[in-house]
Amino acid sequence: MKDFARRMIGIDRRIIFLLIAAAVLLPLLRPFGLPIKISPEVRAVYDYIEALPERSVFLLSFDFDPSSKPELEPQAVALLRHAFRKNLRVIGMTHWLTGTGLADDIFSRVAAEMGRERGKDYVFLGWSPGAGSLVIAMGQDLYKAFPSDYQKTPTQGMPVLEGVKSLRDVNYMVSLAAGNPGIEMWYVFGKDKYRFEMAGGSTGVIAPGLYPFLRSGQINGLIGGLQGAAEYETLIKRKGTATAGMDAQSATHFVIIVLVFLCNVFYFVLRGEEGKSN
Amino acid sequence: MIFLKRQLPLAVTFVMGVAFAIQYYIPHPVSEEAITNVSKWMQIISGFALALGLASIFHVHAVKIKRQVPGWGYSIVLYAAMLATIIVGFWSKGETRVNGAQTALGWLYDYSMVPLQGTMFSILAFFIASAAYRAFRARSREASVLLVAAVLVMMGRVPLGQFLLPWTWDVTQWLLNVVNSAVRRAILIGVSMGQVALSLKIILGIERAYLGGGRDQ
Amino acid sequence: MPGPVLPTETLLGAWVAAGLTLFIYSFLYKDNPLFKLGEHLYVGISVGYSVVLAWHTVFLRLLWEPVKKDIIENPAALGSYVLLIPAVLGLLMWARFIPKIAWLSRLAFAFVVGFGSGVAIPRAVSSYILKQIEDTVNPLVIRGADGLSMGFNLASPQSGVNTIVLVIGVVSVLFYFFFSVEHTGPGRVTARTGIYFLMIAFGAAFGYTVMSRMSLLIGRFSDLIKYASAEYGYAALVLLALTVLALAAWEMASRGRHAV
Repeated sequence: MKDFARRMIGIDRRIIFLLIAAAVLLPLLRPFGLPIKISPEVRAVYDYIEALPERSVFLLSFDFDPSSKPELEPQAVALLRHAFRKNLRVIGMTHWLTGTGLADDIFSRVAAEMGRERGKDYVFLGWSPGAGSLVIAMGQDLYKAFPSDYQKTPTQGMPVLEGVKSLRDVNYMVSLAAGNPGIEMWYVFGKDKYRFEMAGGSTGVIAPGLYPFLRSGQINGLIGGLQGAAEYETLIKRKGTATAGMDAQSATHFVIIVLVFLCNVFYFVLRGEEGKSN
Repeated sequence: MIFLKRQLPLAVTFVMGVAFAIQYYIPHPVSEEAITNVSKWMQIISGFALALGLASIFHVHAVKIKRQVPGWGYSIVLYAAMLATIIVGFWSKGETRVNGAQTALGWLYDYSMVPLQGTMFSILAFFIASAAYRAFRARSREASVLLVAAVLVMMGRVPLGQFLLPWTWDVTQWLLNVVNSAVRRAILIGVSMGQVALSLKIILGIERAYLGGGRDQ
Repeated sequence: MPGPVLPTETLLGAWVAAGLTLFIYSFLYKDNPLFKLGEHLYVGISVGYSVVLAWHTVFLRLLWEPVKKDIIENPAALGSYVLLIPAVLGLLMWARFIPKIAWLSRLAFAFVVGFGSGVAIPRAVSSYILKQIEDTVNPLVIRGADGLSMGFNLASPQSGVNTIVLVIGVVSVLFYFFFSVEHTGPGRVTARTGIYFLMIAFGAAFGYTVMSRMSLLIGRFSDLIKYASAEYGYAALVLLALTVLALAAWEMASRGRHAV
């Protein structure tokens, strides 16, 4: 038993890699489709957008890059579908230079799918440097911060921005963040002074760190990771890549739980045997 | 000269720091105009600062090529990829899409950068699984608490866990909203106090490490 | 029924994307030339992309075009040249590369760091300290229609009982981290409580990190499955076979070298 436990603890890590790969692949090929439960923090975002009057201004900041695409792209797609369905005016931008192309791709793809027109229903401002300074600049004067959009069209006079001078005129803002600059920065340099309502969508890694802001009402909702994205897809009744990935997510979590359990069993066997021999 | 090299930068830091700390509390049109302009300037300066980071990458790989250290061929690959992207990027006028149609830069971005960066980070999934198997042991009471919390959250945040043990969902919500929030809040308060103290030290000229660059004399 | 034929650039893109993905995954076997190639391509393309975007955004969009427009419209006004100030400060940062005049960069850094520190102080105090403390010291007892009451519902984050847990957590963790006195007597109990709170939070963070990492893997595997279809000419499968063959050949070659 002791030898077996020792052998199992020292198992080649590539066997664990294969187990994980199988746990991802099999459910993706043969999904079992378990229901998705909705958390209050995700519902809060949905309810707020649902209650916004038509042509309200919704700012979506794509604060991530391709490294977090699988988690945050489904969130962005679901939020954009919801916003466009509610006929909101949508402003998109990013603080992450390397995420610009991805943000533009997601934005134009969903806008085209929902039949929305650039300049009239939405605008993608692109990337600009400065992080906190950029948010302050937008809070002071949006047109100084972004004299033109990503396609180099002057922002001044765009129908989609009618009546919008600064962040104070934004009705709702969501930062989809994989780190900093992201949700916290939007609060500290933006909402704290310019008083717009905001929420966050984040990767799983940073989600637990955002709960103090959720509790204190500094953000009114939080979409966390792929699970959060799947919840939002369920709320808008349009399944997407997040829902499709949740079975694989379940499977991998279970493989890891089993691995942790086995590792502890072997550990206790070894410890027990060593205790006896002493 | 010493004044220009040492005192003047410290004076600039002091004036900028004090002025923009006070500005928050005085929303007078003049102070608002000042922050509108200076925040715009900061955007531009940050753009120039980006070059500092990029230059260090150029430098590291240029040195590798020059000294022909083992694996220097890969540094040539890096330079070639970078140059190709720059040429394609300028040819595409810095745009990845024009009226919904993908440009050459868009193609390079979508089919090279996105999969490469995404895969680089996804590979960590395998290592976290292997690390969990090797290191996640209930060696002590504290480690056991950590382990149980982790397993509960892993169960409670996926549909299969919610289906098999529905209570894990509620426990996870409570752990995140109450216990986790308390800890994160304590850390946040502590770290922020440190940040404020550091900012004050910078403004008052006590902390000067950021000045770096060049000798005083 | 066969679907519509994909455009050549999409098909080529899929083969490139699948190949590069597999090159990076080859690291799971062990560090090898295919992985190194992918890794260096990644850095090179990222840096190139950053250069292109920074040039078009910072130089053209934020600087050149507004200044050009202002100067054409109003060449005599001093305000038309005001954006040249941050441009000069930005250039001063680059003085760091020239040892003789490196000290000039200090002026630019002083400007940036001074502004950053100044704007950060009131905002950090307001957002991170005051707002967080405000939500920690919530009233325990609420006056309702039927008199005073205290909430015991664990499921409601704002209930009285959860407020007590929260206060204990915040105070004990702060105590554990920030009071570097010897933890004895009541101090020991407080610090121990802080440790248990920390362990639970770390556990939750680990659970979420696992979730996040697995999601990334799911995303990449979904793409590989897509590229393995007939529509894409079985790109992922063909390239997987080629990658395995290349790794085997490399392994044999390096064993041969070691044997010599």
